[in-house]
Amino acid sequence: MADPRTHRLRLWSSGLTVGVILLAVLLVPPLVQLDEQAVDLSRKLLPPSWEHPFGTDDLGRDLLLRCVYGLRISLLVGLVAALVATVVGTAVGAAAGALGGWTDRTLMRLVDAFSSVPHLLLGIFVVALFRPGVWPVIASVAVTHWLSTARIVRSEVLSLRTRPFIDAAVSGGAGRWRVAVRHLLPAVLPQAGLAAVLMVPHAMWHESALSFLGLGLPSHQASLGNLVQNARSSLLAGDWWPTLFPGLLLILPTLAIAGLAGVWRDRLNPRRRSELML
Amino acid sequence: MLELDSVTAGYERRAPVFHGASLTVAPGESVGLLGPSGCGKSTLARVAALLHRPDAGRLVLDGTEVRAWRHRAPRAQRTAVGVVFQQPRTAADPRLTLTELIAEPLRATGRRAEAADRVAALAPAVGLTPDLLGRRPHEVSDGQLQRACLARALTLRPRWLICDEMTAMLDASTTAALVAAVETYRAETGAGLLAVGHDRVLLNRWCDRTVDWKDCLTAAP
Amino acid sequence: MTADHVLRALAAVSAERAEGAVLSVRGLTVRFRLRGGRTVDAVSDADFDLGAGECLALVGESGCGKSVLASALLGLLPGNAETSGTALLAGPEGGAGTDLLAADEKTLARTVRGRRVGLVPQSPAAHLTPVRTVRSHLEETVRALTGTSRRARREAAETAAERAAFPAGHLDRHPHELSGGLAQRAATALALIGDARLLLADEPTTGLDRDLVDRTVDELRRHADEGRALLLITHDLAAAARIADRVAVMYAGRIVEVAPAHRFFGPTGPRHPYARGLLDALPDRAFTPIPGMPPELSDLPEGCAFAPRCPRATVRCGTRPAPTAGVACHHPEQPRA
Repeated sequence: MADPRTHRLRLWSSGLTVGVILLAVLLVPPLVQLDEQAVDLSRKLLPPSWEHPFGTDDLGRDLLLRCVYGLRISLLVGLVAALVATVVGTAVGAAAGALGGWTDRTLMRLVDAFSSVPHLLLGIFVVALFRPGVWPVIASVAVTHWLSTARIVRSEVLSLRTRPFIDAAVSGGAGRWRVAVRHLLPAVLPQAGLAAVLMVPHAMWHESALSFLGLGLPSHQASLGNLVQNARSSLLAGDWWPTLFPGLLLILPTLAIAGLAGVWRDRLNPRRRSELML
Repeated sequence: MLELDSVTAGYERRAPVFHGASLTVAPGESVGLLGPSGCGKSTLARVAALLHRPDAGRLVLDGTEVRAWRHRAPRAQRTAVGVVFQQPRTAADPRLTLTELIAEPLRATGRRAEAADRVAALAPAVGLTPDLLGRRPHEVSDGQLQRACLARALTLRPRWLICDEMTAMLDASTTAALVAAVETYRAETGAGLLAVGHDRVLLNRWCDRTVDWKDCLTAAP
Repeated sequence: MTADHVLRALAAVSAERAEGAVLSVRGLTVRFRLRGGRTVDAVSDADFDLGAGECLALVGESGCGKSVLASALLGLLPGNAETSGTALLAGPEGGAGTDLLAADEKTLARTVRGRRVGLVPQSPAAHLTPVRTVRSHLEETVRALTGTSRRARREAAETAAERAAFPAGHLDRHPHELSGGLAQRAATALALIGDARLLLADEPTTGLDRDLVDRTVDELRRHADEGRALLLITHDLAAAARIADRVAVMYAGRIVEVAPAHRFFGPTGPRHPYARGLLDALPDRAFTPIPGMPPELSDLPEGCAFAPRCPRATVRCGTRPAPTAGVACHHPEQPRA
């Protein structure tokens, strides 16, 4: 356990970062009303300045604005994909753990089958089936990410199922459904929620990877992956800013969310919660 | 009658914990089952509470042979047996308050309306004060939590009560208080009791008769 | 002889005891600060001495603060605990003593725990690492505490096992392959390696069968007879009756009575109404519970904490009774006939 001061520092810095990012992506586009696609070839590849804090890209578009839009899309994809993956994973894991027997074996072999294919390959396969767009990317990320949640939830349910308090519920007349909804699900939801939060940055990286490979979002759409992809040629010419800023914006939310998740995990620990050792 | 007849049970089919255990409890009777730890007496208690399916043998409850265990058992049969476990910490859902814990069997069987009255009647019977009822398990002591677990076992007015090492973790005064609460309930309802434990002095004082575990084992493996 | 004389005699006896005491605790108070400004008075003003070769049983119901007291002596309290008072541990062979409450973590870790205070834990199975054998536990502890050379370590481990009556044939087993009794002996062997003069046994018999309880405490008694001081913390009165020289009864964080074991469990009986009620609750005695429940440690009454449950309580119990002749009560019971 970290000492309380670093603990608080971590909570505040992570919380502040996530807050700023959320405010930026939620408020900037509707408030500023600037066109992030506006091309101005006379001002292409300008280094960072007061007018363009992040510089401009090879078509003279303002990079700060494009980064905010890119972050917005990447976060959206990350959030929705993480949510879908968590719901699917929790449902599969809970069903496998609670029902056991054949259901458990079948579902878990399915999970094994999915995880035997490399992540990115499966993702590429899914996006290749559709036209480029946001939804195929979300689907591809979700399809590859519910597996770990399913495993976590299943093992949690399995260990809970043998606790005497489940025996007591059964003896008190509770049916399967009642036991699952009243006793098992509330116990695994915090874990599943934590997994979902940790998955958001992971899903963002996946979206970026797909876009970087040219398979994700349409290339004119500003996403962090597309921005880095577009900046590749200018990086070779020594122009660092079109690569650096989108890259930083990919790393920053990852660290901040991981920090928040760490604080959350500590809170889940019952020994900390009870404070007392009587 | 609660009749356990040549029950063989365990957690692996090939290696049961015990073979051929038999035990009978008459209505209104209290029987103490005495045995060393690890002998399988707790597993037998779980069989009697319809919580563990035996590999062989029969359980006859009030003249009806039990053919299904856990969720598969008819609800009326399951709730005719109340159980109290050794460790209140693991036997209580950590997310429920003591009130919810005691009322849970009523809510699970669709009799939510009776919950408030039943909790109000049970709490003083097991010695719980109103300020404790709103707390969650980690905010009360082991003794207080075990009182709530006993109340939960009595909520549906079972005809049979199974206490598996109910007082092993408790001090002398709480032990005496819980045993007194069980005996008051039995005097009111005529319920039968199977008390499992390893404290001979306690079981002799508590029960009508005490059976040694090795005397239960009738059939040779 | 007047009561005054008795008091002075008793004071002299306890002073003499304090002189040769292995552990001398004065005014030990532990208080937890909770969020929202609440405080929990887990231990208040505990005074006792413990001599070499003596076994003091600290009894009381769960949650009365007795385990917190043990943790305080080992410096193992969580960060939100505040302690005051002194707990003087006699130095090795006439060397300087150590105040366990004032010592810093480094001193406690390097010179006290394991070396001068041995802990016999509550659940030995959880105390041992599941993936290592008993021998490897013992050898590692020998290395950490005495720095014995590799070759001598094996022998030292076997000696340690023998001292705790742990059979040599079981040394290469893992904790899950041991019965409850053997696991307890393995844990005791670990506690004895540093040759600590003070043994702290925190509920060493929880969940054990009666036969095993008897065997476990008999072995602890044997270690006390070898000249160690033994603090046995338990809610099992029968175990305390079996081996203790003196009994300290704790209620709501305070030691309410300290009495010689033969008087406490014998026909004379304890003098504090709570101690008497606790004994009467035993199944081989009246088997009647004390009415009510102990007070919340976060909300203790001004006066005697037992007064609300006490059959002898009067108006005087609104003020806290000072310990007199080992009993903290305004209306101590007269010795039984």
